[in-house]
Amino acid sequence: MTEITSETETAPTPAERGPIAMQLRNVAVSFHGRVAVRDCTFDVAKNRVTSLIGPSGSGKTTLLRALNRLHDLTPGAKVSGQISLEGVDIYRGNITVTELRTRVGMVFQRPNPFPTMSIYDNVVSGLRFNGIKKKSLLDESAEASLRSAALWDSVSSRLKVAASNLSGGEQQRLCIARALALDPEVLLMDEPTSALDPIATLHIEELMKTLKSRVTVVIVTHNMQQAARISDDCAFLLMGEDRAGELIEFDTTEKIFNNPLDSRTLDYTLGRFG
Amino acid sequence: MSDATELVEEPIDTSHTMRGEIRRTSDQVRARRAATSRLMMVLCCAALAAAAVPLVALIYQLVKQGVPEISAGFFTHLPTTPTLLAPNATGGISNAIIGTLALTLYASILAIPVGVLVGVYLAETESKLATSLRVVSQTMAGAPSILMGLFAFSFIVHDLNVGFSSIAGSFALAVLMLPVIIISTEIAVRNVPYTLREAGLALGAKSHKVSMRIVLPSSISGIVTGVILAISRAVGETAPVLLVIGGGFTNSWKPFDPVSAMPLSIFENAKSEWPSQRAQVWGIALVLVAFIFVVSLTARIWASRKQQVRN
Repeated sequence: MTEITSETETAPTPAERGPIAMQLRNVAVSFHGRVAVRDCTFDVAKNRVTSLIGPSGSGKTTLLRALNRLHDLTPGAKVSGQISLEGVDIYRGNITVTELRTRVGMVFQRPNPFPTMSIYDNVVSGLRFNGIKKKSLLDESAEASLRSAALWDSVSSRLKVAASNLSGGEQQRLCIARALALDPEVLLMDEPTSALDPIATLHIEELMKTLKSRVTVVIVTHNMQQAARISDDCAFLLMGEDRAGELIEFDTTEKIFNNPLDSRTLDYTLGRFG
Repeated sequence: MSDATELVEEPIDTSHTMRGEIRRTSDQVRARRAATSRLMMVLCCAALAAAAVPLVALIYQLVKQGVPEISAGFFTHLPTTPTLLAPNATGGISNAIIGTLALTLYASILAIPVGVLVGVYLAETESKLATSLRVVSQTMAGAPSILMGLFAFSFIVHDLNVGFSSIAGSFALAVLMLPVIIISTEIAVRNVPYTLREAGLALGAKSHKVSMRIVLPSSISGIVTGVILAISRAVGETAPVLLVIGGGFTNSWKPFDPVSAMPLSIFENAKSEWPSQRAQVWGIALVLVAFIFVVSLTARIWASRKQQVRN
């Protein structure tokens, strides 16, 4: 799959897709020696939304979590191949794991605001964890981040209220605001709308479209329509015969959905399996 | 329900169908379950009564015999020994009240920070050290409490030459409280969902900050419950302090003075030859129970407020 960009004329050249935020080369993740996902080679272009799609067990989430080294604390987890952020190898290069995670933010499948903290404290928690204490900076960032997450208008009058009082959709936007407060270059989203109702989902999707002007988004989604609606590029993963996920195809979303190279991609996007 | 065909609009013969078989069987099953349910209800009520009777009887006895002993002087006066001329002059128990408060305070200061930190450590790490600490604290939880008293006597009172003192008693009580706090803290911390830790890590927080700023506050009500349990147990213990606090007849908060304690006063007075002193034990017991009740009630209200903030 390394050669995918050269296989066809219509595949986007790096120049067409703009500068690269993250590069993946032969990335594989295994747990206790058992491969969960492998052969992932593609570029995440800056200021675009890249979606990872594929059926359950194809390794989408596993791959996503390798991008901010969230597997580090999992016993027996091993990430091989090379992942780089702005040309720096995130596993072996000159970057600490905490710095990486401030530059590559993450939003999880289920909204997970810190239950003991207020809305305000949740938003600025990342800044505080990284040593920023100045009240004016925190206030400024809290407002800007909540505005970016389209949550400011509904919560500005109750910033000191516990975050758990918000609805599911609001909690998820709070988690997005919390990630944005660190001003990350890349935002990883792991099925961010799967626990939300259709209206809340719509809000988050619209949010993603506006966010990409300032942050590169990588999103895992089960929802094919969502991938088609919001993403610019698309990676299709599938579980191989040995039950390890692998990258089948990477291309622009338009190409993946309309004219994919691999018949399995077509079958999946048409809903014939998965 | 034997004629199940009435229920369907188009009468069909259900006698040989699986559907009919299921209906007939389920009627029998339902009747049997209803009978079982009634029987279990009766048994549960009987068990409840069996458990409640001794408890209610105990509280009744405690209040009936304890209340007449209580007066303002009971709290503020030192104990006196009755004489033939004044057989009812038992005085108060101010030394035992202050002694118990001081012992509890110092024991809590010694045990809570260590216990909570060890509990967090056990929950957050997997290592040989953690495993052995866990085994040690579980073993300590089952150790007889007189052992703590013996240990405090030989180590603090004798070897360190501190003498009979509230600090020696506090040490014995702290050793008693530690395993309770450690075990309940570990459980409370383990109950914090992993997704919260991940959320913190994904924001670039170092793992000790995740432990202290996210996990610990999220598990605070469970930790407080464990601490109350430990305090309530320590407050009522006689054996660990019996050998080491010296049974002082003064009101002293000083850690190196000999003190008395309410359980110890009960123990001593119950052996007295004077009926008035033997009667006094009910007053002391009532104060002790009331004290434990207030401590646990306050802490529970506090913990539930904390919980409400989360929900």
